[in-house]
Amino acid sequence: MNCKVARVLMSAAVDGEISFNEEKGFLSHLSECKACCEEFDDAKKTKLIIKERIIQFKAPQTLIDSIMQLTNCNT
Amino acid sequence: MDKPAPTHQNKTPTKPEALSREERKKQLEFQNEAVVHLHSLYNYALHITMNPDDAEDLVQETYLKAYRFFNSFERGTNCKAWLFKILKNNYINRFRKNSKEPGKVDYDLIKDFYHSIKDTRRDSSEADTDYFHSLLHEEVYQALHSLPEEFREVIQLCDIEGFTYEEIANMVDSPIGTVRSRLYRGRKLLRVQLEEYAKKYGFNTDKDQ
Repeated sequence: MNCKVARVLMSAAVDGEISFNEEKGFLSHLSECKACCEEFDDAKKTKLIIKERIIQFKAPQTLIDSIMQLTNCNT
Repeated sequence: MDKPAPTHQNKTPTKPEALSREERKKQLEFQNEAVVHLHSLYNYALHITMNPDDAEDLVQETYLKAYRFFNSFERGTNCKAWLFKILKNNYINRFRKNSKEPGKVDYDLIKDFYHSIKDTRRDSSEADTDYFHSLLHEEVYQALHSLPEEFREVIQLCDIEGFTYEEIANMVDSPIGTVRSRLYRGRKLLRVQLEEYAKKYGFNTDKDQ
């Protein structure tokens, strides 16, 4: 596998969307390519940052109530 | 003379009752399948509209539509993905028409948005020595918003909402290969932005060794 192919698979590898065979080739390329290896680490880290740092907001109670009402009293 | 009383009472349920029983079943299923995703939907709506009122409207509208068309939801598939697709379509129809130019980042808007609703946040896990962890939520958010929408969208759907590539491909009406490459390029762009912030605060982002 060359760098070009490895980069196509990069995000899939980060997200666990890579097939078993693809992963084998991908990992063996990483073991001999420092640049791709670093890029892979960076991509994993970036995903983690987004996951951790973007605040998750809860719906306000008024909205919850109105959605519940929507599915309760419209018969 | 006594006439036998008409015996219409204890027959099979009348039509309206039957209907409402059906309806009740639907309501229950809808609550278990769809309403449970309310927080995720609101969170996503808030992040794309950056306005709590708009987000509420969008979510309301989404649930109204979802309820009306609940029969067309394919049982056994991911209901959250189905709801997100409806929300996305609503958003495009209602909001995007009169939104700002694509690619332009309104940093003041982001700042205001973040400060106005910071207090309602759900999760705030801190503490790490890594330089990226010194970044503020707001900065990560700004970096995310500096990306072209097609990149930001897939990153949000994948990293924040946890959808699979197949679900994302369906939501954004593109092949899986496109989702893959958008994620790859999007994360790279994001990385560059985040490093800018890190440098601004005096962290050394050069790789050692």
